[in-house]
Amino acid sequence: MILQTALLIGLVIFSVLAIALKDLLKSAISLAVSSLLLGIIFFRMNAPYAGVFEISVVAGLITVLFILTIALTKSGDEVRESKLVNWVFPLVFVAFLVIDALVMKGLLGKVPALASGPEAGTFGEVLWRGRTLDLVGQIAVILAGVFAVLALFRKRDKHD
Amino acid sequence: MTNTWYLYLFFAAALVFAGLLGLLGKRNLIKLFIAIGVIGKGISLLLLSTGFAKANILTAQALVITYIVIEVSLVATALALIINIYRHTRSLDIRDLAKLKG
Repeated sequence: MILQTALLIGLVIFSVLAIALKDLLKSAISLAVSSLLLGIIFFRMNAPYAGVFEISVVAGLITVLFILTIALTKSGDEVRESKLVNWVFPLVFVAFLVIDALVMKGLLGKVPALASGPEAGTFGEVLWRGRTLDLVGQIAVILAGVFAVLALFRKRDKHD
Repeated sequence: MTNTWYLYLFFAAALVFAGLLGLLGKRNLIKLFIAIGVIGKGISLLLLSTGFAKANILTAQALVITYIVIEVSLVATALALIINIYRHTRSLDIRDLAKLKG
């Protein structure tokens, strides 16, 4: 429980750093570290498949994509951020944490959630039999992403 | 079990709020997508922790994997768009997008 809490605190700290840091490369690496911590949390919640996906795809692939984009857009660091945000951001965030700690306990009893019994079978059975349509949707989403990237990087025709 | 669930929901809400603050305050396009990534982390933590607390971890895992696939596709498309915007405007400032001059 203590280790899990420490991992969750690390996850929030690195996520906030990813948003707050000025250097884009450092913030992309902080995002990768927070994904790594989230993957470890998933492993500790008995969800190894989600943990593997989180670490390999989100901490690996998405970080590479972010770093590639940062390298291709060199003057990205020159965007002037508003100075007001720099000191308002931590204040509002700490205020939200206090409200969150006070209110969340009361909300837990009121939010309706399905009270079902423990599941039977393995993860494979649940994924392939129970969520078959999700898999079809995933294939469609991947194809849509591929076509979108191809369309955005196509070469110009001669008459353009 | 409720105590563990409370802990996870507390941190998931903190992540979502941090991402929303980033979306509201930042002007760099890449920073905005990093903020969207942070919101996504909060949502996947929420999904999996609810599955964990209600003894439905397998379905929750299937949903989280679906979300991760969607996120990869989203980020790839968005970063391709950002590179195209950078080629046009030579800047990553979101305010430059308001100038719709070709």
